[in-house]
Amino acid sequence: MADLRINLAGIESPNPFWLASAPPTNSGYQVQRAFEAGWGGAVWKTLGDPILNVSSRFAAVSFNGQKVAGFNNIELITDRPLEVNLKEIYETKKKFPNHAIIASLMVEPKQEKWHEIVKKVEAIGVDGLELNFGCPHGMAERGMGAASGQVPELVEKQTYWVKEVAKTPVIVKLTPNITDITVTAEAAVNGGADAISMINTINSLAGVDIHSWDTIPHVGGKGAHGGYCGPAVKPIALHMVGDCARNPRINIPISGIGGISNWQNAVEYMLMGATGVQVCTAAMHHGFRIVEDMIDGLNNYLDEKGIASAMDIVGKSVRKYSDWGDLDLNYKIVAQINNDVCINCNKCHIACEDTSHQCIDMLMDEHGNNILRVREEDCVGCNLCSIVCPVDGAIDMVEMPSGLPVMTWNERQAALGAVSCSVDPISK
Amino acid sequence: MSDYQTFLQERDQIDYFTQKGYRIKNITENLSGAFVEFERESKESKEFNKETLHILTADGRKYFSVVLINQQKEGA
Repeated sequence: MADLRINLAGIESPNPFWLASAPPTNSGYQVQRAFEAGWGGAVWKTLGDPILNVSSRFAAVSFNGQKVAGFNNIELITDRPLEVNLKEIYETKKKFPNHAIIASLMVEPKQEKWHEIVKKVEAIGVDGLELNFGCPHGMAERGMGAASGQVPELVEKQTYWVKEVAKTPVIVKLTPNITDITVTAEAAVNGGADAISMINTINSLAGVDIHSWDTIPHVGGKGAHGGYCGPAVKPIALHMVGDCARNPRINIPISGIGGISNWQNAVEYMLMGATGVQVCTAAMHHGFRIVEDMIDGLNNYLDEKGIASAMDIVGKSVRKYSDWGDLDLNYKIVAQINNDVCINCNKCHIACEDTSHQCIDMLMDEHGNNILRVREEDCVGCNLCSIVCPVDGAIDMVEMPSGLPVMTWNERQAALGAVSCSVDPISK
Repeated sequence: MSDYQTFLQERDQIDYFTQKGYRIKNITENLSGAFVEFERESKESKEFNKETLHILTADGRKYFSVVLINQQKEGA
């Protein structure tokens, strides 16, 4: 049995699976049910001045029969008084002393406001604080959430204000609605953050009803942009985690958030630099008990690899995540079609012929059977054929030694720059 | 002619010049591809012989870049 415990900036939890600050962590009843199911931690739904919500609030994007490929919400932070939440946090912590409870906080960008809420929340005993600089809807219109999270100076200043009084670790939750998340991550570091978490939700409109012409969701016929999350955002979030993890100026732990639905997704985030993960949409779709599979899966994965602790995989793929200019231009793979497995649907041929590099021929073998064959010399190794192929094992992408040394774009450009400089002006 | 066949021709031309003792002296890359200027000093006349290849393919541009890097390593 591997050791699944994590320590994120001093916050300890029995496993890396936390519920993110969101509807699933709205109350003590829910968080206690989650802990009973096995979740290692919970980031309590954001505390602040109690808000007013609208109805309806959620919408999901389905794709080809896959429900909840993406999820959109326009719900705001807690609508309950601070004292009610604090009482439930206290009771929950008392029942589950070894589980991590982190309080998500959002107030106006004023020093006294941050001091007030930090002192009140820490007084009842939480394991850490998460500053919500990310919610893109509603609160952002009032200068909070993403509105302040998009301004590096405000991220730094508010983090600093919190750190002036905080006694527990401070996690800064970042918005993805910004060109370069490393800028605000660095601002959080400069403000004294102990960790960062990412990503909050992405500005979105889930859809438009083509019959009523209403937005999805709508509130009495009118809509507003919401926050997008769920499996569809995972690649975006994973990139942002990786970008921060490989930045030497962002030298604090990361809590990964964004479309994590199973243990494999969690492992990906941890390999890319996250010390732990936060989950919301998957729990909303399938319930708290999905964590059982996550724990079993992670444990089996670590055991099979002979890895003693979940912490040992954190960041192991970061050095493999680089810039395009540092990739080897001479590395080559090509597609190979296994005709004994291929069902001759021709999707690879169509995809290659119409939208890629026209290197898959439709031929006939000596027995008169239709076969597909890749002209390897013309294949650029784009992967498209294997992506669209519906049959596992029908197309392999295999390495094809080019016989040339490793050469990156940056190395090439340096060499070209040098030759231009070395041109003899007389002979030229 | 396929891109690959064009590349093979380009590679042969680049190899031909380098085997003849030419060295890459200048490269101009623009919307039309790459123009690679080779130069060799004649032992007899001490004059410089120049040749220019217009490289059209991406693989060709990679190939002359490798040749150039090797040339710079040898000269270092």
